[in-house]
Formats: sequence, C-alpha cells, structure tokens
Amino acid sequence: MASSLTIKGLDAAYGSVRVLEDIALEVRAGETVALLGTNGNGKSTLMKCVMGMLRPVAGSIVAEIDGTRHELNGLATEEIVELGVALVPEGRRLFPKLTVEENLYLGAYRRTARAQLKRNLAHCFDAFPRLAERRRQLAGDMSGGEQQMLALGRALMTAPRILLIDEPSVGLAPLLVRRTIDKIKELQEQYALTVLMAEQNFTQAIRIADRGYVIVHGKIAFAGETAEELNNNELIREFYLGA
Amino acid sequence: MEVSLDLLLNAVVSGVLLGGFYAAVSVGMAISFGMLDIGNIAHPAFIILGSFTAYILNERCGVDPIVAGIIVLPFFFLLGAGIYQVYHLAFERRGETAFIGLAFFFGILFIAEVGLILVFGVDYRFVDAPYIGPSLHLGFVDLPLRMLVPCLVSLVLIGLLQLFISRTFIGRAIHAVSQDAGALQLMGVRPSRVKLYAFSLSIATAALAGSCLIIIQPVEPSLGRDYIGRVFAVVVMGGMGSLSGMLIAAMALGIVESITATFYGPSWSPAVAFGFLLLTLAFRPAGIMGR
Repeated sequence: MASSLTIKGLDAAYGSVRVLEDIALEVRAGETVALLGTNGNGKSTLMKCVMGMLRPVAGSIVAEIDGTRHELNGLATEEIVELGVALVPEGRRLFPKLTVEENLYLGAYRRTARAQLKRNLAHCFDAFPRLAERRRQLAGDMSGGEQQMLALGRALMTAPRILLIDEPSVGLAPLLVRRTIDKIKELQEQYALTVLMAEQNFTQAIRIADRGYVIVHGKIAFAGETAEELNNNELIREFYLGA
Repeated sequence: MEVSLDLLLNAVVSGVLLGGFYAAVSVGMAISFGMLDIGNIAHPAFIILGSFTAYILNERCGVDPIVAGIIVLPFFFLLGAGIYQVYHLAFERRGETAFIGLAFFFGILFIAEVGLILVFGVDYRFVDAPYIGPSLHLGFVDLPLRMLVPCLVSLVLIGLLQLFISRTFIGRAIHAVSQDAGALQLMGVRPSRVKLYAFSLSIATAALAGSCLIIIQPVEPSLGRDYIGRVFAVVVMGGMGSLSGMLIAAMALGIVESITATFYGPSWSPAVAFGFLLLTLAFRPAGIMGR
C-alpha cells in the first residue's frame, strides 16, 4: 500500500530567527526524493519539523500511511514514529554505551516493529554483514561508516513506511559515501519505502533520487522533476559545481 | 597483630555477605542515579520506610520480614511513581534538574525521616524471624543466617533486575534513556514513561532492601543517613548504570570493611572503604564495569 508525504506552507523558526519559509514539498509513494542544499539552509530543520522534534510556526505536514491520512503537525515524535515514519538523524545519534544488537532491538520498540523483529533483524544483518560481525560491540566504539550502517539499520528496525535520512554522507570517506547511497537505494526497493533524503553531496544524491528540491536560505529555490533537470539547473551549478 | 588464616577467611566470608546486603541497598540508586541521572539521595529514607513496614507486618501480623517486603513492593512502586510525577512536572520537564532536583530529594529525605519519627518515635525497632539467631558452620567458617538470608535475597533481586534490563524492550530503553532521550523518541518511545517505570522500580527495591536491613540490625528513623555515603560509593565505583559492576563494588566494599573491622577495629572501616573508592576511581575513572 502506498505511503506519501505532503508538506504545505511550512514556516519554522528558532526563537525569533526564521529558518524555514513557506516550504512546499511532496514525496509520492515509492519515490526517493533528494533535499539538496549546503549547510545551514534548513534541511535538518525541515526533517525535525516532520518528526515533531521542532514545532512549526505554521503549515501542514500530511503523511499518508498505507492509505490513511495523518496530520503530523502537532503530534509528539514518538506518535509520529508509531505511525510508521522514521528518521536517521543528523549525527546518527546512536546509543554509544549500548551494543550494536541492543541499538537494533531498541529500533524495534514499537508494537508493529516487535512483531517483525526476527525478520527485520535478519534483513538488517543481511544488508549489513558488518553489523552481524560486530553485534556485541559497543556502538560508540565503531568507525563512522559502521555507525552510519547501524543508524540506517536501527531506523529500518522500526519498520517504517516513510524513511527520512539526514545527511547520510557526512563524515564518510568518498568510497563509503558511494556505498551508503547505493545501499539506501537497495533498501528503498527491498522494503518499498518512500524516502526523503537530505544531502549536501549533490552528485551522489542525484544518482539514486527520482526527483529533488534545492533549498536555499529556508526556501525551496528549485524543484526538479527529474535528475536531468537538476543536473542542468543554474542554481545547482552555482552552488555545487562552481560554474 | 597476627593474621591467622581462619580469622581472615571468616572476615572475607562475612564481607561477602555484608557486600550482598550493600548491593540490595544500592541497587535502587544504581537505577535512579546510575541509569536515569536522577540524584535521589532520599533512597536510604525509603529503605528505612521499608524496614518499618516490615516491622509493622511482622509485629502485628507475624509476617516474615522478607515476605512482608514482597507484599509491600507494589505499594512502593506506586509511591515511586507518584514521586517521579511530581519531580517530572515540577523540575525535569523544565530542565532544572541538577541542584534543584537534589534539593527536592533532600526535602523528601527529611519529610520521610520526620514522618517516621512522629509515628514511631526514635526508638530502635527489630523484627522476629527464625533465621535471625542461628548460624551455619562450615569447618571454621561461620555463616550467620541473619546475614546469609539478606545476601541471598539481594542476589535474587539483582539477578531478576539484570534479566529485566537486558532482555526486555522497556529494560533496554531504561538503559538508553540517559544516553540520548531524543534518539529514544525516534524509536517511538516516550522517555518520561520509561523513566517513570524505572524510577518506580528503583523505589520498589527499597521495600526488600528495608526488610534486609531490619533483619541485619535494629532500625531507627534516621539510620538511613549512615548509608548514603556507602550507597553513592558503591554506585560510582561499580560504574554508573551497570548492575553487575555495582554488585562487584558492593562485595569489594563489604570485604574491605569486614577485613578492616576484624584486624584494625570497626572505626577504621569507613575510612579504608572510601580510600578504596578513591583508589578505584584513580585507576578506573569510569568505575569497575563502566562502559
């Protein structure tokens, strides 16, 4: 069944500092959409608003999960997760003093996820064999790449229908960035997820994205309907390709 | 003074028994302070409350003190839930926890103490149970049942809690909540619920710890203060948030105190025990089992 995300007229601020202005964004069922922009343009803030970690000043955030519409603006984070929306947060935010396995088990806390725990854990270890090898290791002792795998795996353990990923490439070596991005595509297809991915690394993100939005100073500056369109866009050239 | 082997062995054995009891007294703080970052210095007062409820049930109804501890356990759980709600609404939700929270629990400590004094007076109270007098004798080692029973109760209690924390969903969430409460929300968990549950559990342990205490020694309302230092020492030495580390630390403290008391006199034992704490922290700042 289809799950999608529709954001309209979203304004957000930290105190009196306006961070997002009149954002309109849509992730249709089964799409991978890239949210592109350099640091400090509001990508993470947008993610936080969707997850109820920051209350928007105005606007609506509607998630349609398996055919049922839910207004997310006003719900608590844990209620949004309960509906089937998951976030791989900026900085990963693992539980450093818990083992890999304990981190994954915590992902499966919500009722729906508990029922699928065994299967999802097997999938997770399948997708990331490294996590299976290190299952008894403390999350805090792992390398950046391994931590990113664990953060992804933990989010998948919540059995989401809509997955938000905030900057998966940050702090990773170029080869690992490539692999992580490929892995996201693979998981999106395998689980039939609807994915919104915030990323600074334009060239990598655009490889797997169906569409993309460019966010500049808290506003959607350009919405590209295809990867081609984004590739040939003036703004992108200006911000990323240095031309 | 000559160190004879059987004296040493007896001191070690009674230290282990004493340590087991210290673990029962400390386990509640290992959860509230070690895992939740709630500096509940009133915990020993709840233990004294547990001693007095065991005393009443024993005196009035002839109930065995350990059974009494188990009977009042759910009430202590509810009491803990009530206290956490007040703490959460008044302080934690506003982010004012460090000093104001400490003052709150200090207040609770005094209220509990004065309340007990008003009801029971300042006299020492004790309980009756068949295992309070006799001892087992294994060769030249004495095992007073008065010490052995609390130690066993403590081990069972800690074993069950350890299983609960490592094997259940809510247990793992308890372990995670002080590391990153926001990330826990992203797992669909409400942190304040987890803390409510865990804090209530920590107060519930005071019911059994109180039973153990009044089996070991007569109890008066302000006795809890004697234990505050030891409890902090055990929790910190064990490595915040680790029940197994806490148990090892409690045993170590018990053994060191018991050996000191045997060979140098009881008045030296607190000094030696805290010297031991300082040494441990000098070499392992995160505690024995600190992660």
